[in-house]
Amino acid sequence: MGIGFIRVGLWLATLALTFAVHRAIPSEPPASREDVFLPKPQLAKLASLGFDAVLSDYYWIQAIYKVGATRERPEEFAPYVSRIIDVVTTLDPWVGHPYRFGAIWLTDSPESVRRGNELLRRGIEYHPDDWRNYFYLGYNHFYYLRENEAAADALEKATELEGSPTYLPRLVARLRSENADLESSVIFLTQLIESSESEDAVAVYQGALDEIDVEIKARGLDRARESFEQLAGHDIEGLHDLVEGRFAVLETLPPAEPRDLPQALHKGDRWFVDPETGRITSTYYNRRYRVNTRAQGEAWEGEAMPSAEKEVL
Amino acid sequence: MKAIERIWTIGLNTVREAIRNKLLYTLLFFAIVMIGTGVIVGSISYVEGSRILQDVGLASIRLFSTGIAIFVGVGLIHGEVYRRTIYTILSKPVSRAEFLIGKFVGLVMTIWLQLLIMSAAFVVVSLLSGAPVDLGHASALGLIGVELAIVVAVATLFSAFTTPMLASFFTLGIYMMGHLSRDLLQIGANSESASLERITRVIYEVLPDLEMYNLSIQAVHQLPIAASEVWLPVLYGLGYVAAILFAASHIFERRDFK
Repeated sequence: MGIGFIRVGLWLATLALTFAVHRAIPSEPPASREDVFLPKPQLAKLASLGFDAVLSDYYWIQAIYKVGATRERPEEFAPYVSRIIDVVTTLDPWVGHPYRFGAIWLTDSPESVRRGNELLRRGIEYHPDDWRNYFYLGYNHFYYLRENEAAADALEKATELEGSPTYLPRLVARLRSENADLESSVIFLTQLIESSESEDAVAVYQGALDEIDVEIKARGLDRARESFEQLAGHDIEGLHDLVEGRFAVLETLPPAEPRDLPQALHKGDRWFVDPETGRITSTYYNRRYRVNTRAQGEAWEGEAMPSAEKEVL
Repeated sequence: MKAIERIWTIGLNTVREAIRNKLLYTLLFFAIVMIGTGVIVGSISYVEGSRILQDVGLASIRLFSTGIAIFVGVGLIHGEVYRRTIYTILSKPVSRAEFLIGKFVGLVMTIWLQLLIMSAAFVVVSLLSGAPVDLGHASALGLIGVELAIVVAVATLFSAFTTPMLASFFTLGIYMMGHLSRDLLQIGANSESASLERITRVIYEVLPDLEMYNLSIQAVHQLPIAASEVWLPVLYGLGYVAAILFAASHIFERRDFK
């Protein structure tokens, strides 16, 4: 009986010690988790020994993890994501979303965008009936590379495919007519939000749409400023001139911030004339929006912002 | 008693013996756990979770079935020799070839039985998760069954003349090379060395081409599978198994059990 008690006691003590040691071991992954080893795609295929599909899934989950952990620092994850999506799509070329995932996140430089386009073309090869890959390809050409003709070509192919949105032919016409402007961006971004399967990507696109919304209001103020100048014979001294005094042309100023902005993100909701550029600007963005700025070169360098924000001057 | 009846009797006894093997149940248990784990792994991805679930399920089936085929297969004949029951059996009007083929048949039946259980678990988990299951999946699972028969034949061949440890290494090696041989053939064809090309061609021709039994990607993506993608590998598998068993019987006939 005594020995039995000792045995049980020892067993319980061992258990307690083990659990104590277990509790002392941190269960959270380290903040700067090392990237998994990435073999060359063909080597990964060779080493998979027929388990290529499940190995592809493994690397796909690593790609999601990487972007989720570092999505504010595209220059950090872009080279890795480019390589890992290459491995994922080599192991299982019939995957669907990873091709578009590459296109969504490879936007830190023109080279990355072109790499994303290569992935999309591979996706098109394996999914020739899926209009979305053509759409994303068109978006990349238009939005990041200012290649409107190439964008129109890609979208034109999408229009021939089942399930493509009915407004695409109109967008193609706009791109070909050199009228590619805010409306084209709005159409692209609205569709990307509708078809996006990732909340992170939706947030990026919504950010770009919000900025366009503010830009449309700013352009309305530009027109009001011109009207004021014609009536008064001189330029406004401040935005208040547009709504007060003899030559007021507006009843009120529109909001200077995106709609439905959380309270914590408000920055004063005010318009001002930028002393540097002389243009009416919102306090929220402190700059005016321009389509395809990225393609002009300098905006790509040394920035570490989410892709949508980089579109802005 | 005809030869086929004798082989069948030995086969049934082998099934009875194999299903008493605890290793089989352990591997089967973990296979089913892994198939179920596919649900969790699939949920990590915000897209294509059903596909990932089925990728994990089919990979688990292939991995654990192959494990069972190799590790249970290599010990069957050795166990008979070790327990000396082989003398009792061979003292009866049963040839060594019949004994060996009977062992093979019994193990294949056992492996197919556990494949059936794993497939049922796969189908249940898939349907409960809303993932589609169709004829493509049936074809993929059927071809896994044929691949396993080849692996069992190879395990039987090695177990006919060597120890279980060596037999399992050799069988595992053949399994790996069987999945590499197509890639090696391509490497040889793309190289500028004629001798390398010849060597890779010989490897491709002689070793079992197991990659043809891997229809997992086609099944999971619901890609069209041509009838020839199923019946040609079945025919090849039958021929390969027959050839291996013929060689195994030849070796086994000459083996000295002392």
